[in-house]
Amino acid sequence: MPALLDGHTLPLIFAALMGVSILAYVILDGYDLGVGMLMARADRQERDRMVATIGPFWDANETWLVLGIGLLLVAFPTAHGMVLQALYLPVALMLLGLTLRGVAFEFRVKAQEQYQRWWDWAFIGGSALSALTQGYMLGLYIMGFQEGWLTHAFAIGAAAGLAAAYCFMGATWLVGKTDGDLQGRAVRWTRLTLVATAIGMVAVSLATPLVSPRILERWFSFPNIIGLMPIPLMTAALFAALWVFLRRMPRLDHSLDFVPFMGAVSLFVLGFLGLAYSFYPYIVPEKLTIWQAASAPESLFIILMGALVVLPFIAGYTAFSYYVFRGKATELRYD
Amino acid sequence: MDPILLARIQFGANISFHILFPTITIALGWVLLLFKVMFNRTGDDKWMNAYRFWVKVFALSFALGVVSGITMSFQFGTNWPGFMEKVGNIAGPLLAYEVLTAFFLEATFLGIMLFGFRKVPNWVHTLATFLVAFGTTMSAFWILVLNSWMHTPAGHEMRDGVAFAVDWASIIFNPSLPYRLTHMLLASGLTCAFLIAGLSAWRWLRHDRGPDVMIALRTGIAIGAVLIPVQIIAGDMHGLNTLKHQPAKVAAMEANWETRGHVPLVLFAIPNERERRNDFEIAIPNGASLVLKHDPAGIVPGLNEFVSADGTRLHPPVAPVFYAFRIMVGIGMLMLLLSWTCGWRLWRKGDITTPLAWLLVGMTFSGWVATLAGWYVTEIGRQPWLVTGVLTTAEAASKVPAGMIASTLAMYLAVYLALITAYISVLFHLAGKGLKGVAAPAGVGVSKGGAPVHPRGATARNG
Repeated sequence: MPALLDGHTLPLIFAALMGVSILAYVILDGYDLGVGMLMARADRQERDRMVATIGPFWDANETWLVLGIGLLLVAFPTAHGMVLQALYLPVALMLLGLTLRGVAFEFRVKAQEQYQRWWDWAFIGGSALSALTQGYMLGLYIMGFQEGWLTHAFAIGAAAGLAAAYCFMGATWLVGKTDGDLQGRAVRWTRLTLVATAIGMVAVSLATPLVSPRILERWFSFPNIIGLMPIPLMTAALFAALWVFLRRMPRLDHSLDFVPFMGAVSLFVLGFLGLAYSFYPYIVPEKLTIWQAASAPESLFIILMGALVVLPFIAGYTAFSYYVFRGKATELRYD
Repeated sequence: MDPILLARIQFGANISFHILFPTITIALGWVLLLFKVMFNRTGDDKWMNAYRFWVKVFALSFALGVVSGITMSFQFGTNWPGFMEKVGNIAGPLLAYEVLTAFFLEATFLGIMLFGFRKVPNWVHTLATFLVAFGTTMSAFWILVLNSWMHTPAGHEMRDGVAFAVDWASIIFNPSLPYRLTHMLLASGLTCAFLIAGLSAWRWLRHDRGPDVMIALRTGIAIGAVLIPVQIIAGDMHGLNTLKHQPAKVAAMEANWETRGHVPLVLFAIPNERERRNDFEIAIPNGASLVLKHDPAGIVPGLNEFVSADGTRLHPPVAPVFYAFRIMVGIGMLMLLLSWTCGWRLWRKGDITTPLAWLLVGMTFSGWVATLAGWYVTEIGRQPWLVTGVLTTAEAASKVPAGMIASTLAMYLAVYLALITAYISVLFHLAGKGLKGVAAPAGVGVSKGGAPVHPRGATARNG
């Protein structure tokens, strides 16, 4: 094991890898859970088209959650135990949501006709439950798992905020992957959820320093504040630019249909960077740093070697899959 | 109620539910590849139509496997935090390799395999089918490495009560891995074979006897008939390996209380753990000694050897292991009888009979029962250990309050019951739709030569 990859550097690398996995998950499953929630506002035919936009991708998208939680488990076992025991109930509910949504992909078209509508609602309800519980857990995490009503009130707000953000993500995805009437509706959904997402992001950004003096200090002390200003400024500018761009959608020329989605991805990345900066170096807020929680360097090294070899392949064939199913989504069919 | 017991029931329920679906998809992936390759070679549409029907079953089974697998990845932490704290240095890399080398591969190429037939060249579609089958098998390999290591740990050393990896080759190829992996892959093959034969027999009974149904029926029976004797031999070897490394488990399987020679093979009994003897025993004299030691006088260790001086039981609970083992073996025998009878019939007369078809339908999910029974033998048989000699189950349990575990357990059980019911009924529903598809061809496929064909049972959507 090279000296560079010692007990100090390895946990950092793994924290970064885990962060990337979670960010990939939130963006990727974010858009497909968002599409799932938006199906509540669509008829059966539109729902088929909406599912067709995510059908080939959702499974791989969800694998990023398994990787993220797996890295937490293998690289930071102590933190994993603490976090998952504190989040026992919301995790169980999220798993229920992901289960319902995942199997509904198949059952909604394969079950007997009279039950297909039920599975549509399992799809919608499962997507909503997953998004809400993930937001709720994010809220509890930001609050450092403190006891009391304030924590839960904040977590409920975060649940609504993340669900809105996923809907926003899903709506921009639909703008990119559909055309005609459905695209027109997706543009309207994008505008509505853009506002909701902006409100949510502002609320979390204001609340986080208020509840944590440490985070307040990190952001607002001099000279940090100067270096950090680009994050909120870029976020605000992106929101404004997207708003203006969306006023001219849908367009006859489809070449720019993915711009809103790209904008949404950028917003998620910025939000994620802000959160990551707030919590570094803690993995369990205020309780455990990434070094305190890390497992043996030998084992981390073995995983890192595997990851460095395999991740380029994963990136390659993921890109291939998006290339195969590029452009406007067509009917899902096996033949 | 005892939180450890609740946590075990919850994890056991989840892992039992989960294993049902990979057991199907591991082998079904290869069967699909067989169908696809045969279609490529012969150009005969029956192969592609069989592929189209079974790929639906694959997609449905895969989705159920994915969602229950995600649940499991969380329950390692919520139910057994002590597991990762103590052996995380071993288990962690193995799980990580499973995600990295298998999960992404199968999940990504599944999309192309299911929906990409018209979007990619035929060879890419065949390759995608191969990669999905390969991914499911890789995933089975890594998880069985970890499971086998928990049964027969090797290649590690303990420092301050925590396991550290010393030799990865010995960890991966630990003593029970070759046997367990072979046994499980064959179990998957048999489960899949009887599922294919059973559902095809159901279609046959409904007079849906087109060439694609017949070829699937033949394939299922052929795989079953070939694999079952191999499985019986592999199972026997796995048993001998277990006798060497985990004698207490074998003693519980045989309900043999005393270490002695001339041990009978117990066919049936009610193990009485309080008085440490068997009630209502029916046994073949010298049988167990013959099976386990290949010698009628062979000395076989008994359960009483695994009780410490202060009376603490260091062997697994006897009754569940004993009964589960008999269920597994009994189903294996039925599989042998039925697949060979059907194979004989097909070979001599070219078709099955109505009674045989009903028996096949009855055995559709027999592989599930045998696989679960086998897993209960090996997992309950490892108790009280979680990792043999390293970590007990009780030490690894979480501190989550019993009430919370009980309420989520009730939720999981309700969902699993509903999903299994839906799964089985939808499989038979799909199998029953075949004839309607012929009457009203809704989907149009393209055969190898470019001429449009009407795939049986294909509807406008992916249903």
